[in-house]
Amino acid sequence: MSLPVLGWLGALREPAQVLRWPLADWQTIIRLARRLRLLGRLAESAAAAGLLDAVPAPARRHLVAEIRQSRFRLRTLRWTLERVGLAFDGAGYPCVLLKGAAYVAQGLPIAAGRLPSDLDILVPRDALEDAQQRLQVHGWNEAELDAHDQQYYREWSHELPPLRHPQIGMELDLHHGILPPVARTTVDSAALLARLQPSGLPGWRVLAPVDQVLHSAAHLFLDSELRDRVRDLVDLDGMLRGFSQRQVFWDDLLARADELGLVEPLWLALHFCTRWLDTPAPADALRWLRMRGPGTAARALLLPLLDAVLTPANPDAVDTRRRDRAATLLLARHHLQRMPLRLLLPHLWHKARTRRHGQDDGDDGF
Amino acid sequence: MRAARTHEAGEPTPAAPLAATPLHRIAAALAHDGLWLDVGHATLRVQGDSPHLPAQLRAVYRHFPFIDRAEWADVHCRLDRPRGLRRWLKPQVVFVSDAASIFSPFPADAPLPLFEWGCNWLIGHRMNDRLLLHAGALERDGHALLLPATPGSGKSTLTAALSLRGWRLLSDEFGVVDPDTGLVHAMLKPVALKNESIAVIRAFEPGATLGPSFPKTRKGTVAHLAASADAVARRHEAAQPAAVVLPRWEAGSSTRFEPVTPDTAFAALAFNAFNYQLLGETGFDTVVRLARQCLAWQLVYSELDDAIDTLDRAWPQALEAAAR
Repeated sequence: MSLPVLGWLGALREPAQVLRWPLADWQTIIRLARRLRLLGRLAESAAAAGLLDAVPAPARRHLVAEIRQSRFRLRTLRWTLERVGLAFDGAGYPCVLLKGAAYVAQGLPIAAGRLPSDLDILVPRDALEDAQQRLQVHGWNEAELDAHDQQYYREWSHELPPLRHPQIGMELDLHHGILPPVARTTVDSAALLARLQPSGLPGWRVLAPVDQVLHSAAHLFLDSELRDRVRDLVDLDGMLRGFSQRQVFWDDLLARADELGLVEPLWLALHFCTRWLDTPAPADALRWLRMRGPGTAARALLLPLLDAVLTPANPDAVDTRRRDRAATLLLARHHLQRMPLRLLLPHLWHKARTRRHGQDDGDDGF
Repeated sequence: MRAARTHEAGEPTPAAPLAATPLHRIAAALAHDGLWLDVGHATLRVQGDSPHLPAQLRAVYRHFPFIDRAEWADVHCRLDRPRGLRRWLKPQVVFVSDAASIFSPFPADAPLPLFEWGCNWLIGHRMNDRLLLHAGALERDGHALLLPATPGSGKSTLTAALSLRGWRLLSDEFGVVDPDTGLVHAMLKPVALKNESIAVIRAFEPGATLGPSFPKTRKGTVAHLAASADAVARRHEAAQPAAVVLPRWEAGSSTRFEPVTPDTAFAALAFNAFNYQLLGETGFDTVVRLARQCLAWQLVYSELDDAIDTLDRAWPQALEAAAR
């Protein structure tokens, strides 16, 4: 594990490490951290430790710039939460913040330096229609989708198409579950809703700490794209360190993983967190997960692929084909797990046909 | 810096400008560690195997020193030929930054507009340590003139013309203001001229050094005006802002030059900034300071020479006000 590609991650928790980096290391780390969406976190860690002035000037500029960018986005997120909160006033069912917004509402250390661009909200399935109507009244409308995508979201997905607001620079994803209902792994939303906690923001709730960990692990390891996802591991590391202060946390986490059918993603999360981020985890918990996780053969196939895809490419890398091939194999596995073939094949066919027209990267007036 | 080794007297040899560097050396730098372009407020590092890139870069960065190794760059990019069949079927060039391909490809013979557009996008999104106005910026007598404007208002054309009449070019796109000092810094990229502006500038100054024309880009035809040797040599000299002029080109109009109130100047600066909102209170304070310390006018014109005469006549007033 060379310093540039993964070794620098330790500085997110122990910012004094940055004092040892010569300018050449900063050059690589800033480029990498930005691509991994961890530059803000690195910058906020250094700032909180009072170390910004000790950073070489060319690198410091980028840290200062990223702190500004991140604080702006977090400001926007909080303001959006306030606005959306008004829409749900008196709704009579729980409104749950997921992922980044939940970390922000709870004031977790992993909230610092984030660059939120969307807001994920979970409501009970039978409240979905009401939630959507309330949001519509407050100016949140669905992005325009073709008939196929509409049907995809409604029947096979666990969330509605992204909602947009004409005055708010943030997308809103309204969920009724944390995994698609047709996936081989399904999570009973009622079980999640049964253990909600207050978030720290009036009107908003969050999942139980163990469920937040499991959601994050499932979100990462059951997703289709794992390139440049080290940030998800850093989030998991931060949650495990923060939540496990409580004695019963690990027992609860393992039992809940079993109950929700999320043993495999949890096992994978801990596999990489303990190796890459020194996340402390009790040995018997790891042993139990290894026992309950996939068999030796599956493990021997899966782990090297995941390792190749999750390891970030060096910013100067010209050839990332090995990583990209591994990503293709994992994508195939993902699709097979997510949708039965009779749904998958027409879906991929449609995507392949529409991709050709869809590419655009925005125009900012240059 | 390989190109700036010390010679016997112990004095560093200044790196030769790109214009005096053989193309094969530029190509070799692009194929290896890269070419570093220090444009003032930021340093760009470019690599890539696009065969058209060396000559196009040399044409528009002609007075910049040839530097093929340095410790730092703020923006890193590659302009490469895509792999596989794409290389032969419909040849393209791709823009890759930090091992991620982030923009749609351009035709293979147009790496320069893709480089310019991609770098400007990255600069505009990343360099939030300073206020970035969407403005032309020029310097004279140690003071800066800012031309904030929306795209299509003729800002680049007027900036180019002023830079050919004794004003030192700081930027045609980014008015870079340091929130701590209030000074305006250079972001010295070639001026991107679009469509009719290309012929206008050629007619205005036949001696102007323009790079090749690129038809059918997303902005129509684009050609780039190279920054002068003096502007390049002085790209690290910041300037105290003295005037804000809101330009608008209007076909057939006679020149109209009217003072505007500080609150109009404030709005023009704030609404034509890349990161005003993002900077929050710092952005507000910086723009208020600019609106307070600068004289501000609106300029409607159709004749470049007349517009420049008008600005030249008004400039001493701005200097006087800045001295107070």
